[in-house]
Amino acid sequence: MVDAFSAVFQRPNFLTFVIIFLWGFYIMVTRYNLVKKLIGMYLVQTSVIFFLVSISVKKGATVPVLLSTTEPVQAASYANPLPHVLTLTAIVVGVATLGVGLALCGAIYREYGSLDEQKILEKLE
Amino acid sequence: MSHQLPAILFLLPLFAAISMPVVCLKHRHWSLPISVAILAAMVLVSILNLYNVIHHGEVRYVFSGWTAPLGIEWVADGLASVIMVLLSALGLLGVVFAGPTSPKALGGRLAHYYTLILLLISALTGIVFSGDLFNLFVFLEVAAISSYALVGVAGGRALFAAFRYLILGTLGASFYLLGVSYLYAVTGTLNMADLAERLPFLLNSRAVVGGLLFIFIGLGIKMALVPFHAWMPEAYTHAPDSISPILAPLLTKVVLLAWVRIVFWVLNVSIAIYDIPILLLVAVLGTLAAVIGASLALAQRNIKMMFAYGGISHIGIILIGIGQGNQTGFVGGVFYLLNDAVMQAALFYIAGFAFFQYGIRTIDDLGRVGKKAPWLTGSLVVVALGMIGLPPTGGFFGKWYIILGALEAGDYISVAAVVLSTLLTLAYFVKLFESIFRQTSTQPDVQFGKIPLSFKLTLGVTSTAIIILGLFSAPIVQLLLNHALPPGL
Repeated sequence: MVDAFSAVFQRPNFLTFVIIFLWGFYIMVTRYNLVKKLIGMYLVQTSVIFFLVSISVKKGATVPVLLSTTEPVQAASYANPLPHVLTLTAIVVGVATLGVGLALCGAIYREYGSLDEQKILEKLE
Repeated sequence: MSHQLPAILFLLPLFAAISMPVVCLKHRHWSLPISVAILAAMVLVSILNLYNVIHHGEVRYVFSGWTAPLGIEWVADGLASVIMVLLSALGLLGVVFAGPTSPKALGGRLAHYYTLILLLISALTGIVFSGDLFNLFVFLEVAAISSYALVGVAGGRALFAAFRYLILGTLGASFYLLGVSYLYAVTGTLNMADLAERLPFLLNSRAVVGGLLFIFIGLGIKMALVPFHAWMPEAYTHAPDSISPILAPLLTKVVLLAWVRIVFWVLNVSIAIYDIPILLLVAVLGTLAAVIGASLALAQRNIKMMFAYGGISHIGIILIGIGQGNQTGFVGGVFYLLNDAVMQAALFYIAGFAFFQYGIRTIDDLGRVGKKAPWLTGSLVVVALGMIGLPPTGGFFGKWYIILGALEAGDYISVAAVVLSTLLTLAYFVKLFESIFRQTSTQPDVQFGKIPLSFKLTLGVTSTAIIILGLFSAPIVQLLLNHALPPGL
């Protein structure tokens, strides 16, 4: 049990990821306000991006541009560019989704005069 | 030239989508003919691509010369090419149908509406061909974002359905991305062929098992598998009538194809994780979906809602076939997928047609029209035969091969589930026909308007296709057996 806990605390990035993910998920499930739901959704997305960044950290590494073309390449001294590119793409996708979500929220507010899920459901009945 | 066909298939709708708002700025009525022309070209190219793949083997397309493990690779094998023909043909019919039924509220934004449809079809093309897990994620999200917008485009109730769809869909996408990053952290690769070589040695790793689980949950939400299906009926019911026949047959089936690709091509068929065979999991999930979806469909009064739940149960039947782990079952599942896509399209054409022509939304309204609507009743009879699975239609042969596969695997629970789901399907179609032929209402005769050509065309083509798929089931199944089987099955 103690071993399990200490193993968790040796990887604070994983712990942070789990906390942000569950926090976002909790907001999505429990809040009735649609914008708050979107905030929760964005937290979930961001936590996954955070996870992707945190597993690709390399201490003491530099940008992936070859310093010298004659010496053999030292993999340890260059950061892996791929996870960062994936992260950028995932951020773009997340922003696009959030944009569509906010546009829908705006349209819902104009249609129903409220952003509260329960009030909207009452009006739908 | 012929090895460029997958990229051409993707770029055709993409460029049309991007240039649409500019080209149709002044003349917004050009947008429909342009979309039809582009999608007709896509049908031709996809048939060419299928012919090429059958005769010269699969095409592996690498973008900008970066070869497989480093760059992004697209795989046009037999399965993808067959699905591609289906996708472009149903896309074309969908746009033909969308012409007269496009929401009146759009006004000047008609060009943007076609932009979204073409963008959705190009993203689905990407999902079909992609051989790279992250590339697949991007296309999943492009398809999802365009469909959120398309569901909500007409306003009213659809907005709220679209919002729920957006929340759940994004949660699914986040799960999928999380799973992909787990697999990337363990193996250091995103290419499916590369992963397939490395994963079998890593199945004791908890990170790999967790990653696969997250990918399955994510794709399960996207394809409306039973515990995660809540978004789907509402989104398809409240979506504009011109949009549901494009979304319903294509979106969930293409995601199902991506799932099949991961289960059969990335993982090996016989793989067991912690002594649980993956295929057993697939078959059990299919069994649940087939029975629960059909029972929920039986309880609906709204026609579109009923058809949407029917779609959920048919996803389950496809999964049962695919999950048997033998060639008969797999081919039966894929053949049923083709049939089901055509039948779902036909069902939503019928629902849209019934509303536009006769103002019918619920089962009770159907009694008003009754025998005075030969196109509606006729096509509904053909689709019902297919959905229930009676002999001259493709639905029968699909279920036949699935049951044969299940008997071959000795999985009698799956056989029972297919039969039970068939009986439930029969029950809800009996409900529909009862209200048509019983002529409940005694209203005076209403003069119905002339039926537009596009309605006749879409209903006629899909009804004929359902029969033709049945009559020519033997060569199609043979083609799938020869060219679309996963390695090692």
